[in-house]
Amino acid sequence: MDKKTVTTIAYLSRIALDEGNEDKITTDLENIIKFVDQLDNANVDGIEPLTNPLEKKAQTREDKVTAKNRKDTFLDRAPKSNEDYFLVPRVVE
Amino acid sequence: MSIQYKSIKNLTSMLQNKEISHKELINETFTLIESKMDLNAFITLNKDAAIEKATLLDSKKNGSSLAGIPIAQKDLFCTKDLRTTCGSNMLSSFIPPYSATVISNLENAGCISVGKTNMDEFAMGSSNETSFYGNVENPWGKNLVPGGSSGGSASAVSSGIVPAATGTDTGGSIRQPASLCGITGLKPTYGRISRWGMIAFASSLDQAGPMARTAEDCAILLNEMCSHDNKDTTSLNEHIPDFTKDIDQPIKGMKIGIVKEFDLSKLDSEVVKVFEESKKHYESLGAEFIEISLPNISLSVPTYYVVAPAECSSNLSRFDGVKFGKRCDDPKNLEDLYIRTRSEGFGDEVKRRILIGSYVLSAGFYDAYYKKAQQVRRLIKNDFDEAFLKVDVLMSPTTRGPAFEAGSKGSDPIQMYLEDLFTIPANLAGLPALSIPNGFVDNKPIGLQLIGNFLEESKLLQFAHNFQKTTDFHLKTPSGENI
Repeated sequence: MDKKTVTTIAYLSRIALDEGNEDKITTDLENIIKFVDQLDNANVDGIEPLTNPLEKKAQTREDKVTAKNRKDTFLDRAPKSNEDYFLVPRVVE
Repeated sequence: MSIQYKSIKNLTSMLQNKEISHKELINETFTLIESKMDLNAFITLNKDAAIEKATLLDSKKNGSSLAGIPIAQKDLFCTKDLRTTCGSNMLSSFIPPYSATVISNLENAGCISVGKTNMDEFAMGSSNETSFYGNVENPWGKNLVPGGSSGGSASAVSSGIVPAATGTDTGGSIRQPASLCGITGLKPTYGRISRWGMIAFASSLDQAGPMARTAEDCAILLNEMCSHDNKDTTSLNEHIPDFTKDIDQPIKGMKIGIVKEFDLSKLDSEVVKVFEESKKHYESLGAEFIEISLPNISLSVPTYYVVAPAECSSNLSRFDGVKFGKRCDDPKNLEDLYIRTRSEGFGDEVKRRILIGSYVLSAGFYDAYYKKAQQVRRLIKNDFDEAFLKVDVLMSPTTRGPAFEAGSKGSDPIQMYLEDLFTIPANLAGLPALSIPNGFVDNKPIGLQLIGNFLEESKLLQFAHNFQKTTDFHLKTPSGENI
């Protein structure tokens, strides 16, 4: 884990690192990754990954409309919207 | 008559016998809340709506099981028309358009939500120090942390303001604060309580649960919190028993496992002494002890710190400043909007976990970290499966020690992560586990953890209730008197 890697994952996460704090963040992440490297001690040959403790298939339901259209309720909670859309800065010039 | 420190059972009988009206009870609750604002246990209060509901209950007979019981809701549960921040600046003005299923279940049973409790930001922390809304005080001492992430809920119950609170537990966030604040807290089996309307941190680990003074009150709350919910694809469709039914049954002849790999020699000798005394107590109640080996359990914390950040980085990608929550001022373009919104909206610990998550999920590292952690997760679960062929419950201290001072863990995040050493394994395996007060170290409470087999909350509550019927640790209060 070096500064360059940290800069890349920060960009992938859409997070800006505080200037002047990059060394501390790099050291913290390096220590955490070293800590989880203990997983190398386990013998996992042939072991199926466990993604969820229930190991059940996700339940499905009939594709029926169950809710009312609450467009206004949700648009009202957006930082910026008009009567039909969520608004963001112009993407295409 | 003061309502402080009263249990759900006490308050229900006071209401039924008309010793107090619903409105008086809620008014008294707010008097207590306002007299204890220095705890910083609440982020948002729900006073007007609470009094309105109480007034309605007074005017009309209501047979609901929890009619009029005041409850504090962790600020991670969406509450319709009531601000829900999840301890974050990102959601500082978020008003949900709906309530979480578990909130609706409790309110339909008659509970009155008096406010939203403080918590570590997005439930990432073990001391409540990562909250955007400031630290929470542990009622047991000035500047002591209440634990986390359900720190506000634990502090509110511990100080006797409310008889009950909701919490959530991803790696110990109900049990660790319960231990540090001297109350009882239960994390049910993964899937018992619907996660719909819970703001997600790590979806394969998150589970809501009750926090109260006694195991009996936790059982009463759990009866109402559980439901099968079509809106949560991981909600269990299993029989939901009456969790209060068997708690009085004796535990004579039942078997308790002690985990060989939980090395207690590194703990403070006073902490070990309290644990040994609890063992003796259970022996006196007729339980038998068996040493159990869980060979992979020492890898629980490293496994957790791959799985939880990976799921967190994915879940928290929804906070982009577009549809709800905070947006930065004057974004230059769409990318600037995303980056500045997230950088200003999230605190340091949340950012750290998102970064670890992005790293372990990134191409080239996925197999070495994420896949491997999930394989070790299965080994840990297999260890538990085998253990429960031999024992009824497993027992350990809940925490490595009692409450510590704010700021005392320094700036090394791993020191804080190890706080959840004993609690994380149950989340990885999806098992129910609880913490009950079992003694004091330096006049600060400490808890005992019991882990049960899949769906065996009733048995855990039976063990806990048998302990509480014959001890008084859960009756001690921070103000010094016994209840």
